[in-house]
Amino acid sequence: MSQATITAQHRRQLRDLVADVLELEPGDLTETSSFVDEHGADSLQAIEILARLERDLGVLIPQEDASEMTTLAGVYAVVARHAGWATAHG
Amino acid sequence: MAEPTGRRVVVTGLGAVSSLGIGAPAFTAGIRAGRSGVSRIRGFDTTGFPHTVAGEVHDFAPRRLLRRLDPDEWGRSSLFAAGAARLAVADAGVRPAELSAGNAGSAIGTTSGESAVIERLTAQWVEGGFKELDPALVRQVPANRIAAAVNRELGLTGDAQTIATACSASNYALGYAYDMVRTGEADLMIGGGADSVNRWAHAGFYRLGALAEQVCRPFDVDRTGILTAEGGVALLLEEHDHAIARGARVYAEVLGYGVNCDALHPVAPDPGRIAECIRAAHRNAGVGPDDIDYICAHGTGTPTNDATEIQAVREVFGDRIPPISSIKSMIGHTMGAASGFGALACCMALYEGFLPPTATLAEVDPRLGDGVDCVPGRARAARPRIAQNHGFAFGGNNAIVILRRMS
Amino acid sequence: MTGLATRTVVEPLMITGCGVVSAAGIGLDALADAIGAGRADQPAASAFPEDAPPIPLAAVPDLKVAEHLGAKGTRHLDRTTLLALVACNRALAGLVPALPEPDRARTGVAIGTSTGSIRSSSEFSRETLVQALPYLVRANLFPNSVMNCCAARIAIVNGIRGVNATLAGGQLSSLAALRYARNVIDRGHADRVLAGGVEELSAQSAWAWHLARGLSPGTAVGEGCAVFVAESRRAADRAGRPVLAEVLACEVRSTGGDDPRHQLSTALAGCVERALRRSGVGPDDVREVAPGATGQRGLRALERRGVRAVVGGRPGEVRVAPVLGETFSAGGALQLAALIAGWRRRPPAGGVALVTSVGHDGTAGCLVVRPPAGGAERREVRR
Repeated sequence: MSQATITAQHRRQLRDLVADVLELEPGDLTETSSFVDEHGADSLQAIEILARLERDLGVLIPQEDASEMTTLAGVYAVVARHAGWATAHG
Repeated sequence: MAEPTGRRVVVTGLGAVSSLGIGAPAFTAGIRAGRSGVSRIRGFDTTGFPHTVAGEVHDFAPRRLLRRLDPDEWGRSSLFAAGAARLAVADAGVRPAELSAGNAGSAIGTTSGESAVIERLTAQWVEGGFKELDPALVRQVPANRIAAAVNRELGLTGDAQTIATACSASNYALGYAYDMVRTGEADLMIGGGADSVNRWAHAGFYRLGALAEQVCRPFDVDRTGILTAEGGVALLLEEHDHAIARGARVYAEVLGYGVNCDALHPVAPDPGRIAECIRAAHRNAGVGPDDIDYICAHGTGTPTNDATEIQAVREVFGDRIPPISSIKSMIGHTMGAASGFGALACCMALYEGFLPPTATLAEVDPRLGDGVDCVPGRARAARPRIAQNHGFAFGGNNAIVILRRMS
Repeated sequence: MTGLATRTVVEPLMITGCGVVSAAGIGLDALADAIGAGRADQPAASAFPEDAPPIPLAAVPDLKVAEHLGAKGTRHLDRTTLLALVACNRALAGLVPALPEPDRARTGVAIGTSTGSIRSSSEFSRETLVQALPYLVRANLFPNSVMNCCAARIAIVNGIRGVNATLAGGQLSSLAALRYARNVIDRGHADRVLAGGVEELSAQSAWAWHLARGLSPGTAVGEGCAVFVAESRRAADRAGRPVLAEVLACEVRSTGGDDPRHQLSTALAGCVERALRRSGVGPDDVREVAPGATGQRGLRALERRGVRAVVGGRPGEVRVAPVLGETFSAGGALQLAALIAGWRRRPPAGGVALVTSVGHDGTAGCLVVRPPAGGAERREVRR
């Protein structure tokens, strides 16, 4: 699946959300920078990303898909799959 | 007079306010039978929660149990603690006058203090703003009232120490109580713990993915998490010679304890630091791994805790791991009271001669490795001599107490 | 009951470091200035919680979190934990010589807090009521709702791996922490302990004081944290650390009665007497008293009566609450910090000082503190 399957606005929203959880500025994140290896994320923060997606954006991600969300691109892909946000144009 | 540092400390009274019953005999009978204390939650509205069971205490009647406290003035956790302490004193046969005249105090562990009170106030805040908070409830909030309730109920004039090291708090409290008696700071100490089931912990553990749906299965291949629970537990600690002189029944001797902190992560436990804590407890108690006949595990039933705990135990005990079981399989996770209930179970196991079971265990997780005996099903007849009681917590607060059979 | 085997004189605890955060600002000098002036400068209104009741408040003016703790790892911590982290940072930064990494394995933490961050727990609880579904809470805020969060975070941030205790002693919380520290050091569980107390000013706590009518008119609801590096004499000597103060005794009593107010001054008097006896000093040696309940309705007179019953009215009073507000769990630690701060200005002429505390729950406590021989050295790290 292409990673650019959600709108720019949704991507910005997700970037802000992840940056807040990981205590970064949104600009510190790239689509492929590793949450764990490059940003020091831990298991609690991984759960928090999942929780915030459900709470703030109403997107329910099954626990088993959480393991894919190791980068911003991973988050885009998983969210696109479960949120019904996918667009052809990105 | 004996050298103060050489005073021996024994447990002569036990009190339980638990989902398995009120009083140590009822609690112990439940443990030996492998009975479940879990039921549908009544303590709060579970609408919207996918998981709706917990280890609640339903048949606690504070007015019947307490002689001095007015239940209307105290929060649920304080009443649990005072009730358990009253039971422990009655069990020990100590005269009330002896308690108030002597140098006696309490140390009570808790995770969330008067959480049920805080939640009632929160509901008032949501409905009407801060100005609508009920002042009578506000006065019940501070957690220090839990140990204060024990002192007030029993007329104790020494320490009233509430220790809030989350889910290892009872072991912290027992360690402190042990030191107070051992050094002569006190002649009698109540050590134990108390916590109340509350909505916020239920939500928090659910959100962490650490809450089981119906059954808590520590060490099982299919374990999925904890069940939240509540209760109050108290052990009366007394100087050995004093206990013998008054002809007291002695359940066990407290040999020592170990405490440390992972200092790594707020919720992820570390096997290496837990192993260090076990070794520290052994040093303090003057025992070695070969002396331990039974481990009352922290055994929460989360995949991570149980794997980490067995890994830590293996690090210390090698391939000769003593039988290790979790009473959380029956009563759930009573939070700040958990290691107090564990200590009570150890005392009874040493005194009556059995190993408490992991009641819900169907198949031991093979990933835990070989030689892990979790005492499945019901209690097993045995003659353990020395027991090791585990308590771990959020924040990496580890505390372990070592108890020995008297004979 | 007979057979009390209490040792007469206990091993003193050496205070070799101190970090303090209060309405006066950060550090002992700021505290000494404010106590000297009899008031702390009021910070900007933005320092106070929204929705606070219409009563006086005394907030820490500027916590300088990023300056002291770095930019990362603090965004989701609550104010209780931040206050304590800054105080610990100052205590450790001022330690001479510094605490080497290997020594951190046998260094512990003992923090007094009556209820943890009541703001964190009640806000977390609130989420279960106002969200669409009750479990839509913030996972990474869950640890903040547990009372040991602050002590555990101190350990994590500073790599301090020994005993890690959270003492909920209400008004006596700070004294309970020092008493706990003394015991674990005495019993060999740790060589030194970062011990102190913390209290956070929040709308919740301010309303609680207001509605429960706990404070005398004009007393502000305050906040703050003081943390001490408390070591055995042996550990302090071995490291060659100068001593700021010696805690000779830390005694606590409960009234054990149905009406604790009735017996509180008697309990405190007994506590002071016993503390002096176990310090090997007498009532005439007491030069100063830092009382705790100076802003609390009903307790102030009881505390004074209990102290005077033993040491008379001659010792000077160092009153913290009129300057810092009612700081509850942090009170005892801020009282001790105020004494130490004063000794750096005016080297004391021998004797000892008392830190006393009484609580509505029927508890009374007393520290006996000896100033360092030759006065405290000025060696707080400045930025």
